[in-house]
Amino acid sequence: MSIFWVVRQLAHIQESMATSKKVITKEEWEKKLKDVKIRKEDMNKLVMNFLVTEGYVDAAEKFRTESGTEPDIDLATIMDRMAVKKAVQCGNVEDAIEKVNDLNPEILDTNPQLFFHLQQQRMIELIRNGKIEEALEFAQEELAPRGEENQSFLEELERTVALLAFEDVSNCPVGELLDISQRLKTASEVNAAILTSQSHEKDPKLPSLLKMLIWAQNQLDEKAAYPRINDLTSAHLEDPAV
Amino acid sequence: MVANQQELISNYFLEQAKLNASSITENGNENEDLPTELNTINSSGGFLVVSTDKLSVQYTSVNLHGHDVGVIQANYPAPVKQLSYYFEMTVMNAGTKGQIAIGFTNESFKMRRQPGWEANSYGYHGDDGLLYRGNGKGETFGPTFTTGDIVGGGINYTSQEIFFTKNGIVVGTVYKDVKSQLFPTIAVHSQNEEVSVNFGKEPFLFDAKAYDAQERMKQQNIIEKIPLPQNVSYEMVRSYLLHYGYEDTLNVFDMATSNSVPPIRISQQNGFAEQDNTYALSQRKTLRQLIRMGKIDAALGKLRDWYPQIILEDNSPICFLLHSQKFIELVRVGKLEDAVKYGRVELAKFFGLEEYKELVQECVALLAYEEPLKSPVGYLLGESQREVVADAVNAMILSTNPNLKDPLGCLHSQLESLLRQLTACCLEKRSLNGDQGEAFHLHRVLHSGKH
Repeated sequence: MSIFWVVRQLAHIQESMATSKKVITKEEWEKKLKDVKIRKEDMNKLVMNFLVTEGYVDAAEKFRTESGTEPDIDLATIMDRMAVKKAVQCGNVEDAIEKVNDLNPEILDTNPQLFFHLQQQRMIELIRNGKIEEALEFAQEELAPRGEENQSFLEELERTVALLAFEDVSNCPVGELLDISQRLKTASEVNAAILTSQSHEKDPKLPSLLKMLIWAQNQLDEKAAYPRINDLTSAHLEDPAV
Repeated sequence: MVANQQELISNYFLEQAKLNASSITENGNENEDLPTELNTINSSGGFLVVSTDKLSVQYTSVNLHGHDVGVIQANYPAPVKQLSYYFEMTVMNAGTKGQIAIGFTNESFKMRRQPGWEANSYGYHGDDGLLYRGNGKGETFGPTFTTGDIVGGGINYTSQEIFFTKNGIVVGTVYKDVKSQLFPTIAVHSQNEEVSVNFGKEPFLFDAKAYDAQERMKQQNIIEKIPLPQNVSYEMVRSYLLHYGYEDTLNVFDMATSNSVPPIRISQQNGFAEQDNTYALSQRKTLRQLIRMGKIDAALGKLRDWYPQIILEDNSPICFLLHSQKFIELVRVGKLEDAVKYGRVELAKFFGLEEYKELVQECVALLAYEEPLKSPVGYLLGESQREVVADAVNAMILSTNPNLKDPLGCLHSQLESLLRQLTACCLEKRSLNGDQGEAFHLHRVLHSGKH
């Protein structure tokens, strides 16, 4: 044992006393980790929940066979949901609206904001394809009456119509509406609405648990120095920072 | 293979098998005594009368000074192992001065003073609407209260706050600096003052359940705002599939993620772990399939061909798990005589060994039931038992990887390491908080209802 080591340990002790933080060594912590009981069955459910919610229907099917885990939603409905999502992502909004109504007409009836956003996306696609006349007609007949109902719809409508004012839409202030990310945003909104209508959580549990891990570690930092996991991907346990 | 490591692996999976046997509810020893009535033994007896149901009090004398308060605690302290605690009182009669108080006091509270006047106590007083905590000087807090009002006191263990309500609405909160147990306490201090208390036997006017739900939502909203590294969930799922050899799922998943719009790029920076995980992937997949189908002989045959070192010793833990599964499969198809014969040859030798005894006994017990599936040991016939055996074989194969970086890495995937860390952090934080607040149960979180 070197002098250096002793001095360093003393410094640690001093520091921890000053902040009155409890210091948990790696050995102690590893024992606590070992005492945590996790069922494999629960892990499989967590993974299945992710596959199903994110819409990986083929992977979910295979995972059911390989692990014997039952999905918490009818796999057939995932296909329908993904078809809607894909239609929006590809810009076939009319098709998507039809598919949603086939699935469950209540989804759009009870969700005016979602319906407006789909209609808005439809207009964006018309403008993208240079169908200016059609876009104008659509705005007046379908979008304007809804804008009158709701202030935030009106603002969105005005932003969208503004696209018509520019010759070079890719370089205009509202050009982001034409971006692929706008399609993805609308697609994920419709995806969430379908999941909710199937009384399923709209987000998978896995990311929430990972966020909870970051949060729990930050919370514990205030009271104790203990081995953290800083890199989620490797799950590597650091030495306690004292 | 190092004998030590083999032991480590098999002990881990014997534990996992036991986990299957234990019932799903993991409440632990969370049952605390709840306040149900007023404590008539430790009260300032001379000044008040407690009703026979021990749920209401009346001040019967004439108050002369500050040391003749009629104060009374609940029979038990507020339970701490939950998100919040709450109780209510109704002012039946404000008496001559309306010096009624509600609050929380600790065990050593001097039973002749108003709650809040003494150290380690909190009180919300009806005559001035002030909050007292630890001394005789009140702070501006809420409205006054009088005859007919329903007033409540609560503790939020997550935020470490005490809150009070009047007629079902929160009037204010105050930081709870007292960490020891606190008793629900009420006090009366002028002639004819009368108060009845409700520890939850009757419905509360305040919606305590909605309060809890709101508190949970608040916390959830904070957590949801935390950013995650991009695609980390995908990486976790992928490494999980790799680790356990769910190869078919993995292939389909990889194809789907690379074809999605926009494609999901899963970083391969974690090269070492990836190497560890792809090791013997298709062999691990095949063995898992065989075990999951109940074809234990075929699995043993493959192991003999591919990894003879794993099953070299017939009385090793991994052989025990495989033999016990073979026994279970025989029982499943009703070949009881064969099961008996097989058991005598392959399982009997494990009887004397402490770590196996339980599982051997439970396997053999299957024979005793006409309908083994419905018996107390019916869990052995479940999918999860096969899964545990398959996981154990998978881990044994991973441990033969000459390039293995982390000897414990073969036990479980990174995802499980993260969830262990999460659970340990939550438990530790709670224990440093005097065990106050809701316990974290991963199982419960995973099975929490649909929103």
